[in-house]
Amino acid sequence: MNQEALNKKDRMQIELAVKKIDWELDGRVPRARRRQILNELRSNLTEAAQHVGGEQAVQQLGDLKTLAKSYLEIYRSRFDVRAGAFWAAVAYFAVQLLGFVLFLAFRAGVAAGGSHGASYSFEVWTGFGPFAGKVGAGGNTFEVLIGSPAHILIVALAFAIGSTYRSLFARR
Amino acid sequence: MPEDGVHDSQLLKGVLSLALMRLLADRESYGYELVTRLHELGLTEIQDGSVYPALGRLERDGHVTSRLVASPSGAARKYYRLSAPGYAALKHIERAWQSLVSALEPILSQPVPAKPKEALP
Repeated sequence: MNQEALNKKDRMQIELAVKKIDWELDGRVPRARRRQILNELRSNLTEAAQHVGGEQAVQQLGDLKTLAKSYLEIYRSRFDVRAGAFWAAVAYFAVQLLGFVLFLAFRAGVAAGGSHGASYSFEVWTGFGPFAGKVGAGGNTFEVLIGSPAHILIVALAFAIGSTYRSLFARR
Repeated sequence: MPEDGVHDSQLLKGVLSLALMRLLADRESYGYELVTRLHELGLTEIQDGSVYPALGRLERDGHVTSRLVASPSGAARKYYRLSAPGYAALKHIERAWQSLVSALEPILSQPVPAKPKEALP
């Protein structure tokens, strides 16, 4: 067995592959477990690279996403931070989009009524949100809430559901 | 090994755990060494990337145990060893495999006809 130290290129190829797997597992597999997986992978790749070179060693792993998926099937945690963040962002932008549509509709109403400006609000109570805005003189001022307690509540709910729905609905 | 030296990847996937457990029954091994041992047996289509998670699955199911051993190449090697439940599972799976092979043998040992016969009246 060739025990010579790996060259820089081989080491970089190994590290790149390990980082790609890490990226796929990040937020989905508990940190300690992830570290174990990556250490073992690095050890095996180093060993393989000493026989066939870094590039071939990484190729022998096959598709890295498929490999990461296989690890996820075994070690996925019940709490998926990445999915939670994704659904929180989707919820935020959905609220903003709806707020913008309401703003446009309200501005059209104000313009049709011949008013110079008005305030609107769709809130459970004042200041709670999520929808409130103001149409200025001539109906041209743009003002929509971008953050409110309601936004925080909706985003937090989306995060909580998004990060746990897979384990909630997974087949037992 | 088939004449053309090619194994069906789906068939291999199905028996990978069995092969790994059988190799580990012989001696303690780490991931890359097991890949090499499988390749030496002629199972060269098996990719490293299917062996490593398979070992994780066996460990999760309690069929193997592991320990870290310092390696001259740098990062510590993770050695796997068949556990007592693993031995029992291996024996059970080996029996099931032999039974399956015996059941299929009468059909598969016959040459494949060029054309299927018509249905019996």
